Amino acid sequence: MMNIKAFTLVSAVERELLMGDKERINIECVECCGRNLYVGTNDCFLYHFLLEEKALPAGTAAFTATRQLHRHLGFRKPVNELRAASALNRLLVLCDNCITLVDMLNLEPVPSGARIKGATAFALNENPVSADPFCVEVCILSVKRRTVQVFLVYEDRVQIVKELSTPEQPLAVAVDGHFLCLALTTQYIILNYSTGLSQDLFPYCSEEKRPIVKRIGRQEFLLAGPGGLGMFATVAGISQRAPVHWAENVIGAAVCFPYVIALDDEFITVHSMLDQQQKQTLPFKEGHILQDFEGRVIVATSKGVYILVPLPLEKQIQDLLANRRVEEALVLAKGARRNIPKEKFQVMYRRILQQAGFIQFAQLQFLEAKELFRSGQLDVRELISLYPFLLPTSSSFTRSHPPLHEYADLNQLTQGDQEKMAKCKRFLMSYLNEVRSTEVANGYKEDIDTALLKLYAEADHDSLLDLLVTENFCLLTDSAAWLEKHKKYFALGLLYHYNNQDAAALQLWVNIVNGDIQDSTRSDLYEYIVDFLTYCLDQELVWTYADWVLQRSEEVGVQVFTKRPWDEQQKNSFNPDDIISCLKKYPKALVKYLEHLVIDRRLQKEEYHTHLAVLYLEEVLQQRAAAASQGSEPSDTQTKLRHLLQKSDLYRVHFLIERIQGAGLPMESAILHGKLGEHGKALHILVHELGDFSAAEDYCLWGSEGQDAPCRRHLFHTLLAMYLHAGPAAHELTVAAVDLLNRHATEFDATQVLQLLPGSWSVQLLCPFLTGAMRDSIHARRTTQVAVGLARSENLIYTYNKMKLKGSAIWLSDQKLCQLCQNPFGEPVFVRYPNGGLVHTHCATNRHTTPSSPSPGTRT
Amino acid sequence: MRKPDGKIVLLGDMNVGKTSLLQRYMERRFPDTVSTVGGAFYLKQWRSFNISIWDTAGREQFHGLGSMYCRGAAAVILTYDVNHLQSLVELEDRFLGLTDTASKDCLFAIVGNKVDLTEEGAAESGEKEGHDPSKAGGGCASPRVPKQVQLEDAMALYKKILKYKMLDEKDVPAAEQMCFETSAKTGYNVDLLFETLFDMVVPMILQQRAEGPPQTVDITSSKPTKRTRSGCCA
Repeated sequence: MMNIKAFTLVSAVERELLMGDKERINIECVECCGRNLYVGTNDCFLYHFLLEEKALPAGTAAFTATRQLHRHLGFRKPVNELRAASALNRLLVLCDNCITLVDMLNLEPVPSGARIKGATAFALNENPVSADPFCVEVCILSVKRRTVQVFLVYEDRVQIVKELSTPEQPLAVAVDGHFLCLALTTQYIILNYSTGLSQDLFPYCSEEKRPIVKRIGRQEFLLAGPGGLGMFATVAGISQRAPVHWAENVIGAAVCFPYVIALDDEFITVHSMLDQQQKQTLPFKEGHILQDFEGRVIVATSKGVYILVPLPLEKQIQDLLANRRVEEALVLAKGARRNIPKEKFQVMYRRILQQAGFIQFAQLQFLEAKELFRSGQLDVRELISLYPFLLPTSSSFTRSHPPLHEYADLNQLTQGDQEKMAKCKRFLMSYLNEVRSTEVANGYKEDIDTALLKLYAEADHDSLLDLLVTENFCLLTDSAAWLEKHKKYFALGLLYHYNNQDAAALQLWVNIVNGDIQDSTRSDLYEYIVDFLTYCLDQELVWTYADWVLQRSEEVGVQVFTKRPWDEQQKNSFNPDDIISCLKKYPKALVKYLEHLVIDRRLQKEEYHTHLAVLYLEEVLQQRAAAASQGSEPSDTQTKLRHLLQKSDLYRVHFLIERIQGAGLPMESAILHGKLGEHGKALHILVHELGDFSAAEDYCLWGSEGQDAPCRRHLFHTLLAMYLHAGPAAHELTVAAVDLLNRHATEFDATQVLQLLPGSWSVQLLCPFLTGAMRDSIHARRTTQVAVGLARSENLIYTYNKMKLKGSAIWLSDQKLCQLCQNPFGEPVFVRYPNGGLVHTHCATNRHTTPSSPSPGTRT
Repeated sequence: MRKPDGKIVLLGDMNVGKTSLLQRYMERRFPDTVSTVGGAFYLKQWRSFNISIWDTAGREQFHGLGSMYCRGAAAVILTYDVNHLQSLVELEDRFLGLTDTASKDCLFAIVGNKVDLTEEGAAESGEKEGHDPSKAGGGCASPRVPKQVQLEDAMALYKKILKYKMLDEKDVPAAEQMCFETSAKTGYNVDLLFETLFDMVVPMILQQRAEGPPQTVDITSSKPTKRTRSGCCA
């Protein structure tokens, strides 16, 4: 067990001061109250001293005692016990089984002569039940067998409160509230003097040893147990702390938080109440009194009085920390919480936690260290500053003074051990990464992020890039130099970008791609740059590097124009014409770009469509020239060209027809003729030049796309006519005609077709066509019928509604005359026209026409 | 100082391994221990509760302290050494009386420690650790011996205790649940022991709290609270 220095022993009253050279005079008891020190002797004298305390720099103190009055108490017995009641200005003196009250200053007994007789021992209640400040509660062990009494003591009188009998003879007592803690002959008990209930604590043997009963705090006592144990017990009879282990022959005990002090024949021992460990041993021979008085611990031999001066807790804690006894230091610090003002404690405790953290850190106990740093709210720069070069040069940080640890830097701490160094760095990485987003980082985010960047860069850590692409506070100059030093050029580019220096970033990256500098962070850096430029808002920059990206790859490079977000393109920042002129040197890129404009963006501008068509055409021609052989399958470009020619209505048809003439591109020219509305010409090319009947059919379909049915019908008829005009000799065309009819029965006007067909064709041959035509015709008829029916009923509904609106009861009277003959009605039958006119039935039949309604209305 | 919510006390003859069991559980290690003087205790945080576990001295000299340590205990772990029949006998003769001061619904666990020293225990731990049992045995000076105390003996004691406490077997956990054989050396069953007890003690703490301030009438819990003593994590 390592010791700490918790107390120093200093002399308070020298032997000479007390008794000079009188050999037989012994100290029997002491009392200390404020600066007053009282000593009772075996020759019945009472001495009063004034203590003068002088603090010494080492944290201890020196005492000088000046003798005041002394008085003989008038007995031949020794003074057994002394207790001061400072509120009453009285000293309670036990001598010859009698407690007398004497004045604290002149040592005279109170004039009233008040006293408590028949006491063998007594104890003051330090946790009094009564609220009266001018009385003290005293418990005495009576000379009567097995009896204890409780008194109230006032300035000049005493009053008995209670007398209780105990199961055995009591030997020692301590009081707290209503509870008496008593050492009986064979056991310790707790006795509630108010209720009379008692609670056994534990047995001991009074014949073997003197009992000790010591109140140590609210409702808690310290007792001398078997085997030299100092046992803690509450008034409830429970032990809440583990016992401390004293010597067998312990004489006295005292408490000076957080320590329990015990006296035996040879030593004063100090145990912590917090962890029950022995902390200090002071040799002290022939001691026979050990008592604490309001925090002051006094020991005495029969000849002299000494004071145990506690070292300031802070110093004790620092000593523990200096010995790397982190646990103990923290326990002690925590234990001191209630003895130190809150504000002061927090500052002190935080610092201790930080120091403890560094101790754990130096032992590479990172988990513990982290927790201590966290709870100690360490300024994280303290930790960073241990690592050379990590703090930015601009950082204003200086280490706290006095220092939290003894290390200059990591090199000293690890003594150059590279492995340890690496571990420390890994720890700092994870630690900084954890705290950078918490409030711990407030105020010095720059320092943290810059340090983290340096660590990542040095360790070639993946998180470097993550750090740079997310919100960060890395300082530019410091970080840039470091990244350059570690050849992290890509990351450096990111740093520049983050700091709005895209030009510098791009220059770096381009240099990497060009191989001027080496950094293999990204194998797809070129694509990255293209992507970067695509989303780059700085036009200048895009133009600057457009040539470079296009030179490397036209197809990929052109993405800087084609993949730009459309809304940005629309803000006319990039004029398509500028781009096109830039792309002149890069035909593939140009095609891609025009495709982008025409197909993706659907720009309705003639030049682009024509330009694209021309480019396609040129390429097709080129391919033809190269391939020479008349490949039956159209190339991709050719497909694209045809598609464009078909779908677009914007290009300049004539211009293209000119270009295409004689190029041997019948399909394309057919399409172009079609665009001009020259369907006959187009179909002629398809049928006669190409002989591609399915293409001709397709032509009929797409050529009429978006047009009305007659137009389509016209195309099909034209084609059919073309097939049939060739005459029966052209067998192929005949077959094509039959196929056409059979496949597209509904596209034709059957009656017209039937007239055109040669009589020799069998019905069977045209069966599909005829069925189709018939079906279609019937279908048309039926739908028409349905439509007529629906229309009629609709009409009826309207008529009905109208009648409902107009019609009301018609009164026929003598005054009503027939509108035609102007005669009155003779009978109830009449005719009513929808316009309301009433006529005779015979008049209505005679007059077939009426001016307002073509048909007779309903009869009412 | 945090005030513990419940208390568990280890009792048993000297040298049965009370301190070792506790250190194995709390500190995950098996150091050489010296004879415990007086007692010691640990505070264990279990869920939101602080449970104090008291290690007592087995020596006769400190026997008198046992009652005080047991006062108000929620559970008592009676420990014996499976290789010493006398240590089981002592539990009944000397230690059971100490538990009179414990809480009235105190739980009892009976624990036979040092199974690693028995033949079957060696095999068990050998299997578990994947070592060759003979090789493991070679490193240790103590020879493997047949177990002197069987688990059934402990269970019989458990039933005796119930009788002594005048408890109905139906109201308390079954003997099978409360008798353990452990090895502080290998760690065998140690966690199981403590954690089974913690899980049983927690409902008791909650009940005590509910009963706590007597002047407060809690209307919601007016129906008889059901005791979940078999709250083991099985």
